[in-house]
Amino acid sequence: MKNLLISTAFLVGAFAAAPALAGDVLDDILSKDQLICLVNPNSPGFSVPDSEGIYQGFNTDFCRMAAAAILGDAGKADIRGIGFSDSMKTLVADGAHMASRSITATGTRDADPGLAFVATTFYDGQGFMVPKSLGVTSAADLNGATVCAEDGSTTLLNIADWFGDRGIEYRVENIADKTARLEAFFSGKCDVYASDVTALLSDRLLSEKPEAYTILPEVISAEPLTLVTQPDQALEAAVFWAFQVMINADQFGVTSKNVDSIVADLENQPKAVRRLFAEDSATAEMADKLGLPKDWAYRVIAQVGSYSEVFERHLGKETPFGIELKETANALTRDGGQMYAYPIR
Amino acid sequence: MTGGAMNRLVPFFREAFATPLAGVLSLLACALTGVLAMGAFKWLVLTAVWPWQAAGACKDLAGFCWPFLIEKTRFILFGTYPYALHYRPALVCLILCVFAVVTCRHLVAAAPLLSARQLAASWIAVIVASFVLMGGGIFGLEPVDPVRWNGLPILLILSIVAVALAFPLGVFLSLARVQSSYPLLARFAAAYVEIARGVPMLTVLFVGIFVLPLMLPEGVGISPVLATLVALVFFHAAYFAEDVRGGLLGLPKGQDEAAKSLGMTYWQSTRLVVLPQALRRSLPSLVNSIIGAYKDTSLVVVVGIHDLTATARMSFGDPAWRDNAVEAYALVAIWFFVSCAFLSGIGRTLHRNTVS
Repeated sequence: MKNLLISTAFLVGAFAAAPALAGDVLDDILSKDQLICLVNPNSPGFSVPDSEGIYQGFNTDFCRMAAAAILGDAGKADIRGIGFSDSMKTLVADGAHMASRSITATGTRDADPGLAFVATTFYDGQGFMVPKSLGVTSAADLNGATVCAEDGSTTLLNIADWFGDRGIEYRVENIADKTARLEAFFSGKCDVYASDVTALLSDRLLSEKPEAYTILPEVISAEPLTLVTQPDQALEAAVFWAFQVMINADQFGVTSKNVDSIVADLENQPKAVRRLFAEDSATAEMADKLGLPKDWAYRVIAQVGSYSEVFERHLGKETPFGIELKETANALTRDGGQMYAYPIR
Repeated sequence: MTGGAMNRLVPFFREAFATPLAGVLSLLACALTGVLAMGAFKWLVLTAVWPWQAAGACKDLAGFCWPFLIEKTRFILFGTYPYALHYRPALVCLILCVFAVVTCRHLVAAAPLLSARQLAASWIAVIVASFVLMGGGIFGLEPVDPVRWNGLPILLILSIVAVALAFPLGVFLSLARVQSSYPLLARFAAAYVEIARGVPMLTVLFVGIFVLPLMLPEGVGISPVLATLVALVFFHAAYFAEDVRGGLLGLPKGQDEAAKSLGMTYWQSTRLVVLPQALRRSLPSLVNSIIGAYKDTSLVVVVGIHDLTATARMSFGDPAWRDNAVEAYALVAIWFFVSCAFLSGIGRTLHRNTVS
């Protein structure tokens, strides 16, 4: 009995000590009053500098989301464009706090001690685009086809796996430069163009006749594109739940445009919405525990918007990419997608 | 005035049509130039979208989209450097260009503006000032992370500063290689030059970015910009060393012997007799190497540094301007054409001076 008491006391002590240790990256963000977030320097729609040199795009908005949640001001995100392997090294070496650059979460990557995969912001998968004139309706009919794909990417490995399993013969046309690769496909030098489905959707628009091309139904890989932070339980919780606030906002129809009127009239809102924004709400309790601004959930929605707003702003119907959110895996679960609103309570 | 022009034009035409073959070739060249000029005129003026027109018009017309340059030139020049602080990279570009031009004029002018010593001293000041202005952190300048040093200033720092630092190193290497008092030093210089020239520049850049930080003592960080600069200095120095060595070997042996017989020490004879003549002889090939070094600087894109070419690519990565790759590249091409034409002009003048 005494032994049990001692070990319980030890456990409690350990738990009490843990948060102080676990929160040092978050503390660093708070003390510097700046959140350094790494993005891809040139990924149209996801992160690319505007005319004033400020990064804009889908991925960039999750840097701003984290800054709004942690520092209360989306503008305090110091967004830097760095190549893929450099950004991983910079994160591990404590040169940045997080990265939002379409990184596929994989087991071996997550097993690395220096990185934490936090929240999947985009569900993608590899697919095939073919000219309609080819008369192919399934990737299984592609025997003997020439495939254009990026050299050295996981794209080629996935194709080798998928075609190899089915005994399909194919030839690969390796072209490193994306513009040249697309040109080769549009001019008929290769029969099939392989890439992530969302990339195919936007690449198709670069053709002079987008309607002449179709994307085959097979999606041969899972690409959960995920936010990465330095390992720090408190920071991971803040980023993950900030993202969940954006998904919950979609679930309950809250956007940056109506959030002010909703907060002004909380009495008449559903309980789940009150829990997001009220002063004695679940989010306020989380703010106390993590050291965030009390109204962080409101700030995320007011300054960045809900998930679908961010999607529509950078990739949706009104943009050159013209992706219909409801047709992708990134719709809410109730619309047939995979974005599942976790309970905030 | 017109008479002067005529006096120059008449011999020119006489030369161009001296023989039937020359005449035919001249006419063909004129026709080709005319066709190209008409094409350029149609593209840049006739079918172009004017700067004051709405950007949307670029979608319908096949010509040059001037509104793109109005919108994006500043971004292509300075990239993601904080917008409000653009005067700092602009100042860096200005002083680097001015001192590069002053140095070039120094080489060809009869009565130079600055003495060689003043020139060397001002280069040190210019290099220090460039880094202080770009990075900030002292004198109340807001610090700016090297990740945000993009576009023209980074191109100029990595080319002009690299050349300015590589030149003295190259001269030292060439002197070390041709002297005979210290055979070990001569061997070392020879091995260095041959290894550096036998390795592609890309390899040197990768070594600079990935291996150099490992060789530094623990806790000492080096920014990618600085690591690349070090790699470029070591690479270019080998080429400059060979150019200068050519000049040293071409010098009659009597020069050095005469200097020694006057009682000059090695350094006196080198500084006052040998080097000035050797450098003058090697200048044309040095200018050649410098133009090559300058253009190769764009390769730093592969190690993640966003120079002028990279910012041009980003400028049409903006989804609103994704059709304007040609305009962006045209701007970069014009910059490289103007700067390289200036350097070639200096090279030609030097060549004339050496010959006459």
